[in-house]
Amino acid sequence: MGASRLIERYHELKAYLIWSDQDVQHIVAAASVLEPHLSLLIDDFYAEIDRHPNASKVIAGGAAQIERLKGTLLRWLHELFGGIYDAAYIERRWRVGWRHVEIGLDPVYVNVALGRLRLGLCRCLQENWKGEPRRLDMTIQSLNKLLDLDLAIIQDAYRAENIAQLQRAERLATLGQVAGGVAHELRNPLNVVKTSVYYLLNARNPSSEKRAEHLRRIERQIESADNVITALANFAKMPLPKLSPVSVASVVHDVLEMNPPGTSIHVQTDLPDSLPQVLVDVDQIGIVFGNLVRNARDAMSQGGSLGLRGREVDGGVEVDVVDTGIGIPPEDLVRIMEPLYSTKARGLGLGLAIARAILERNQGSLRVISNVGRGSTFTVRLIASLNDGAGT
Amino acid sequence: MTAPPGSKILLVDDDIDICRNLTDILTDLGYQVDAAYDGPSALDLVRKSSYDVALLDLKMPGMDGLELYREIKKERAGTVALIVTAYASAATTKEALMAGAWRVLSKPVNLPDVLRLVDQVLNQPLVLVVDDDRSLCANLWDLLRDRGYRVGLAYNSSEAVAQLRDAHYKVVLIDMKIPDGNGGEVFLRIREADPKVKTILITGYPLEMDDVVARVLAEGADAVCYKPFDVPKLLGALQTLAGPGGDAAKESASRNPA
Repeated sequence: MGASRLIERYHELKAYLIWSDQDVQHIVAAASVLEPHLSLLIDDFYAEIDRHPNASKVIAGGAAQIERLKGTLLRWLHELFGGIYDAAYIERRWRVGWRHVEIGLDPVYVNVALGRLRLGLCRCLQENWKGEPRRLDMTIQSLNKLLDLDLAIIQDAYRAENIAQLQRAERLATLGQVAGGVAHELRNPLNVVKTSVYYLLNARNPSSEKRAEHLRRIERQIESADNVITALANFAKMPLPKLSPVSVASVVHDVLEMNPPGTSIHVQTDLPDSLPQVLVDVDQIGIVFGNLVRNARDAMSQGGSLGLRGREVDGGVEVDVVDTGIGIPPEDLVRIMEPLYSTKARGLGLGLAIARAILERNQGSLRVISNVGRGSTFTVRLIASLNDGAGT
Repeated sequence: MTAPPGSKILLVDDDIDICRNLTDILTDLGYQVDAAYDGPSALDLVRKSSYDVALLDLKMPGMDGLELYREIKKERAGTVALIVTAYASAATTKEALMAGAWRVLSKPVNLPDVLRLVDQVLNQPLVLVVDDDRSLCANLWDLLRDRGYRVGLAYNSSEAVAQLRDAHYKVVLIDMKIPDGNGGEVFLRIREADPKVKTILITGYPLEMDDVVARVLAEGADAVCYKPFDVPKLLGALQTLAGPGGDAAKESASRNPA
């Protein structure tokens, strides 16, 4: 966490609680009343922790560690009543929180432990107060504000560390997924290369044609391995879209030209001229529809029909890509747009992840419904171009 | 390393290049090789002829390598499967081995390893079990496969004769009571199909079958085993007639690396 953000936060919270110089004076005055009783309060604090296994289990070092911790708590209390709440103070408070996450203490124990300390301090003030009762009330109010501020900083540290832990776990999971996806796509070409090399090195009577054939094969497979890396790299750093108004019908037409679904698939397009033009990066949106059309084709290896139907919606255009293929089981449906998730024997599993990422950058969206055995409908939503009503 | 005459290998991979490469390498070594690019066409090949080894890619569109092996095993239980995969989880490997595949190999394949394994398979004696009791066949398959024998299964005498025609079996285990004819006739048909093959008779009815068993033994059957099996005795008879199973072959292979 950046120190400046933390200080800013602290000041904001101080303002929220109406913390003033008067509060500082109250606290400093309370310090002299409390000082003789602090070590008793600390003993009570650790005696209580000892009665709660879920709290005490994080103290692994026995009596010696408890003695050290008592010293730490005493310093913490001295600082609390020191009257100087500067950047160094905030930083130390934040570290207290962070340290408690690190040792694995459930945050509820931080709350209740601080609550117990608060009770002890207030009771101690009440029992030993020699001044005006009205001033006692104000002092207790100031003490509560100060403790609330401390608690807020500690909880902030908890949240920051928890987020960091989650991100570490997610990074590891992603790495595993990448390893699996890349392994498939790279080891197949490597397998061909390796066996061709073996043949070239070991065959007894290879003709010159055979040798040339294997060398060409090696070259081709290196190319295909390289394409895998390129696809991954492109996905990782997708360029910003260059938006321009285009007609959906012409995009779809080009996509079908480039990705013919095959003779066993009946294609039906319904993209009326009345549809408004959409504002998209035409190359990127071509990739989206290309991926959807190829997926639809793969889902209908036994043939079927592919529908591309557009309609105007509020501020945009929606295009359904409808297939009558094998459909997607619910457990896959929630994951198909994750990068490197694939249910096919070949392919990296980037098609839908790329489609979704592109659409997000083009202010569009992608959704899907599917019935196993009946087919799937992917709906692409795009924004309409404002400077023009009807299509070209 | 040269292939023993007539050894046949089936390659199945949806990657045509890898099929071509392995075909080149194995053909160069003298193996007979057939390749298929998907499960159903591989099964067509398996129905037409018998293979010693099937090298199967695990991840293929449609029928995957493991499903394919389960089908192959129904048709030709004596074919030994090596499954090849780019990314095997422990669970996948376990499932493949449970289904009876012999080894799971990772891509890119190490050719010397593959060739050594193929060589080992060819050194595992082929044993044919002729019995209409499918559970018993399955048990014998597991038991004998574990001891390093390749095990073909035939559920009646016609299947047995067809199998003997397609592959070089060393020993046939014959159940003396199967639906299409009594054990004595089955024995004669098997003898006729392959005069050199050794035979072990299996019978669960020592008393009522005694006459038949005695007669068949007199006609040249090599041994008799009674149900329920005395397993060490059965293995002893097999070892005498077929030679030691593949475990011994494996040991000698590791002592004399190719």
